[in-house]
Amino acid sequence: MENASFPLETVETVVLFVAQSLSAVERTFYKLPGSGIIERYVRSSHQNDPGRTFAELIILILVIINLLQSRTRPDRNKKSFLELTEKDIDELVEEWAPEPLSQPLNETEAAELAAVPIVLGPTGPHPTLLNTGKTAINLASLNFTGLAGNDHIKQRALETMRKHGVGSCGPTGFYGTFDVHLNCERDIADFLGTEGAILYSQGFSTISSVIPAFCKRGDIIVADRAVTLAIQKGMEISRSTIRWYDHNDLHSLEEVLQSVEKDRRKRKGPLTRRFIITEGIFERDGSMTDLPKLIELKHKYKYRLILDESFSFGAVGRTGRGLTELYNVPASKIDMLVGSCSIGLCAGGGFCAGSHTVVEHQRINGPAYVFSASMPPLLAVSASEGINVLRNTPSLLVKLHDNIRAARIILDQVDCVSIPSHRASPIIHLYIRATPPSDLLHPSSAAVSAKPSNPSSPVPRDAPVFDIQKEERLLQEVVEEAMAQGVMITKAKRVRGLELTEARPSIRLAMTSALSKADTEKAVNVLAKILRKKLK
Amino acid sequence: MALNRGSSPTSSIFKSSKRSSSTPPTSAASYLSALSQADASLRARRSTTSPSPTAASTPALSFSSLLTSTTEVGEEDNSDGLAVYTTVHTEFGHCYNENYRHVSKHTPGAPVIQDIDQDPPYYILFSTYISYLILIVLGHMRDFLGKRFYPDSYKHIMPRDGYAALNSDFDSFYTRRLKQRMDECFMQPVTGVAGRTIQILDRVTPDYNHTQILLGTRTRALNISSYNYLGFAQAHGGCADAVEEGMKRYGVSTAGARLEGGSTDLHITAEALVAKFVGMEAAVISSMGFATNSTYIPALVSKGCLIISDELNHTSIRFGVRNSGAHVRMFKHNDMKNLEALLREVISQGQPKTHRPWKKILVIVEGMYSMEGTMVDLPGVLKLKEKYKFYLFVDEAHSIGATGPHGRGVADYFGIDPRKIDVLMGTFTKSFGASGGYIAGSKSLIERLRIRGYSGAYAESISPAVLTQIMASMASIMSVATDGPVGPSSSSLSSSTSTLQLPQDFHTLIHPGPISQSSLPTWLTHTLPPSLSSGAEGAHRLQRLSFNSHYLHLGLQKLGFITLGHASSPIVPLLVFNPAKMIMFHRMMKDRKTPIVVVVVAYPATPLISSRVRFCVSASHTKEDVDEVLRACDEVGDVLDLKHGVMANGERRWTVEEVCERAVELVRGYAEAEGGLKKTD
Ligand SMILES: Cc1ncc(COP(=O)(O)O)c(C=O)c1O
Repeated sequence: MENASFPLETVETVVLFVAQSLSAVERTFYKLPGSGIIERYVRSSHQNDPGRTFAELIILILVIINLLQSRTRPDRNKKSFLELTEKDIDELVEEWAPEPLSQPLNETEAAELAAVPIVLGPTGPHPTLLNTGKTAINLASLNFTGLAGNDHIKQRALETMRKHGVGSCGPTGFYGTFDVHLNCERDIADFLGTEGAILYSQGFSTISSVIPAFCKRGDIIVADRAVTLAIQKGMEISRSTIRWYDHNDLHSLEEVLQSVEKDRRKRKGPLTRRFIITEGIFERDGSMTDLPKLIELKHKYKYRLILDESFSFGAVGRTGRGLTELYNVPASKIDMLVGSCSIGLCAGGGFCAGSHTVVEHQRINGPAYVFSASMPPLLAVSASEGINVLRNTPSLLVKLHDNIRAARIILDQVDCVSIPSHRASPIIHLYIRATPPSDLLHPSSAAVSAKPSNPSSPVPRDAPVFDIQKEERLLQEVVEEAMAQGVMITKAKRVRGLELTEARPSIRLAMTSALSKADTEKAVNVLAKILRKKLK
Repeated sequence: MALNRGSSPTSSIFKSSKRSSSTPPTSAASYLSALSQADASLRARRSTTSPSPTAASTPALSFSSLLTSTTEVGEEDNSDGLAVYTTVHTEFGHCYNENYRHVSKHTPGAPVIQDIDQDPPYYILFSTYISYLILIVLGHMRDFLGKRFYPDSYKHIMPRDGYAALNSDFDSFYTRRLKQRMDECFMQPVTGVAGRTIQILDRVTPDYNHTQILLGTRTRALNISSYNYLGFAQAHGGCADAVEEGMKRYGVSTAGARLEGGSTDLHITAEALVAKFVGMEAAVISSMGFATNSTYIPALVSKGCLIISDELNHTSIRFGVRNSGAHVRMFKHNDMKNLEALLREVISQGQPKTHRPWKKILVIVEGMYSMEGTMVDLPGVLKLKEKYKFYLFVDEAHSIGATGPHGRGVADYFGIDPRKIDVLMGTFTKSFGASGGYIAGSKSLIERLRIRGYSGAYAESISPAVLTQIMASMASIMSVATDGPVGPSSSSLSSSTSTLQLPQDFHTLIHPGPISQSSLPTWLTHTLPPSLSSGAEGAHRLQRLSFNSHYLHLGLQKLGFITLGHASSPIVPLLVFNPAKMIMFHRMMKDRKTPIVVVVVAYPATPLISSRVRFCVSASHTKEDVDEVLRACDEVGDVLDLKHGVMANGERRWTVEEVCERAVELVRGYAEAEGGLKKTD
């Protein structure tokens, strides 16, 4: 090896030490009963061939290690193990009756599934719905800047298909990295101003894979209480220690950061990796993080920041670069910036942008990157072209935000709903306003409690109470009525019972620049009327 | 040490790239293009002779489309000056010899034969351990000294300014000390189609693999590495035409999750088609194979349930298992005795501590294992399932399309009713040249998964372009009935209010059999050329894949190599043991006259000592391509001393010429021998 030169004295002491301990071991060995047998065996297998003995020794060690590590061995040595006869076991096997693999849908669930909008043909601002057989104004699809119907992108995707086929037929490590993937990664990095970026083949799986790539057992994660399911699942995989701060409350964050630091000092623990994980625009309610403040805190307490920009990339900022552009913060200040090419760019997949070290680390450690086929080349090219369109037509974002503003003006006048979303957010969540209009359930106006929430629990101290079933049912009625009247909207769908905390039921509108302002207003007015009627 | 010689890749890569940039590589060029002509003339000769036994049982192929494509020049860009390659032959090899076909099928009652674990000679074991030992000792010594004397080069693994290192030195030890030395074998950027051949972008490293520089030149290589089992990775031909039409009609993206407005009628039709393909009541499609496991397994089981997982299951399964919150136990790879012992233990012991009975037990296995090439002992598992009442989840990522006489996966191979399995999962990345995955099962299960799986509510739905590829390729394997009721499929759908219903005729159809035209969108039926919709080409691909898989597997064994897995598996691992030999193998294959790109896998993806080369055979390979791979392996194997296989009952090894000549005999003989092996107990 190149630099393996070390002083001679050290070698001498080491050799001396080894020799001494060896003879000590030998002496104790011969004192043991039965050592003679072992000695004879070793001598006969040795056959004057030291290599052989050495090989056997190594094999022996490996066998022992292997036995110790065996994952398939029954764990009979557990304390609570019951000793049973074969006959008992047979009977128990006979008696055991498993629950059914799945419960059939109940009536409400079946009805809701049947009411899921199905688009006939291509999606866009005015799709035809299979459910009604008519066209509708689309306030459901995540098509913020109208890239889903862009003919130029479609043309380029077609050309790519004619050059590379559809599937990449291989994981990235094994001949699945096409030149178009590299180009797309470079385009994203250039667009955001980071050193590099890495492409994953599905938006949802991106952050679930980025988190366990960096956060390991013993590391500390401080996360927002309202992070989306993908982040929850990534944190679960990582097995790190998780501390929670109140939703979008940076004071609470600072308190948690302080308490973590105090804890560490007290226990004199070693320095571990520490991460803050949150979202740019929250999937759950459309609220927005105060990025400059967040970055200040992260620097102050020396945390790394994993920021999920899935709903802000391609949606806010002058050209859609996301929160960093909106707040004029260099993207390089965010250690791991995660975004989605399927939402912001209407292509497919997701990305993580950051420094070279961060990106290269994931190429070996990101589970969904290493163990999955790379994204179809035609989608990578669509993403690249999407970025081009955003770069060259800032007017798309102006239009998007005009539409958002127009919608908010109408919705703000609807008393029976409350809107937790930020004014610039392209997704607008509508909650049913609780009966006393000054409702305490609204996260940002939550009552100031004397004591902070417990940082180790994802549930906040004054958790809002709401009747999930009732609200879901009411909102579903609104959605179906709107579809019948030619406005395609959707509830924010959840996997109830599988998330860490239950999200408040909401209708999630998605604004798009592909609709004219008049159409947007028309659709939102229809919705407002239905809301007033149904939620009285 | 041997590994350090890895510092010379620069020179060899330079050589090969210069060759391809200045003058066209005459040798490779003539080989890769001459084959098509040779095949054409061969076909002309053969067409007059009597048809071969296997061909007799299958419908005669219409070659017209294939023949014209030989002369047709593809639309790939020719800027690399390699215009000679741009016939479609580079994507999907022409092979007209009807003898080079085989139907893979299990003889009921026969045991499932996999390659037995063969130990290499002592000195190989010894030198392998020594390599790792030297690697580990020197590596740690370098880390120890380096961190003190060259802190600059180690900054990324040391704590700095109050931040802990992103990558602890221990976690990244193998990455830095082993993988980095082999980096020339990984992450090779490519272009073109991942078909029979692939173009690699030449690269060099000036600094021991810290950086890789692309030279701007390309080399076309024979591709025996992509998961392109049925050869559907094509930019030309019937499927590609269908995809073009699909993209024109549906665009690239559907802008949303399945339950939030991202569903189109195409998704519904495709899901019904997939269900029919695998022989289940219903199916749900997700946009990523990995996510199919990681987002749907948690919807199946939860706390209080037990998952019993094969120890070699894929990471995506582990990911889903961990997210589910269920208890998990593992059993020895494909070992039914071990599985039974475990089942007896867990059922009788119940949940840990409380000893309450488990709510459900889900056994998760893969149809075909991607690193070993082993096939699951499905009859064995099903026998246990009857007795122990667990639910069975089979991940068919590598077996769907690639195994069975009808390409319907392991159940088809063993001639078992797929509905005996509770959950069938698979991906479209491999056999269908697309991407994404599916889960198929009973109607009520799938409906539950639609709303309970994370993908439905959160993940983007699959792109219509990819869906079209899936439908076109599947339909070409299933074949489309010509006499069925002709009618626009969308009309039958729009008439029903419950839009997630299956087409009317679903239950009347036999599996595996042709589909009615109404199972496909009308435009797709019209776009598919007759060779595809008749199922002739699908059958052709299945038989070629089966022949090639058997041929490579058995050929390597006859040459004296140690292989792993099942002979009908398109994944053929070849053991090389020493880590340093992997790099050499990779490089020697790539630097041949006809470059061949291979995949090498080492610890930690495999056990420490069984580093291997993994070939993925495809239907797009011609017999001559497999010959070429065998010749290359033979030469490289001699140089690197890899032939340590012990022949069964004292047979002698064959020479490579003998293997090539007696290929058909080899494959047929094996099938007969296997069929004759009825269980004696
Ligand atoms: C058994 C198994 N399941 C799932 C996957 C993931 O599929 P995909 O590459 O389509 O994400 C793979 C891929 O390598 C696999 O081998």
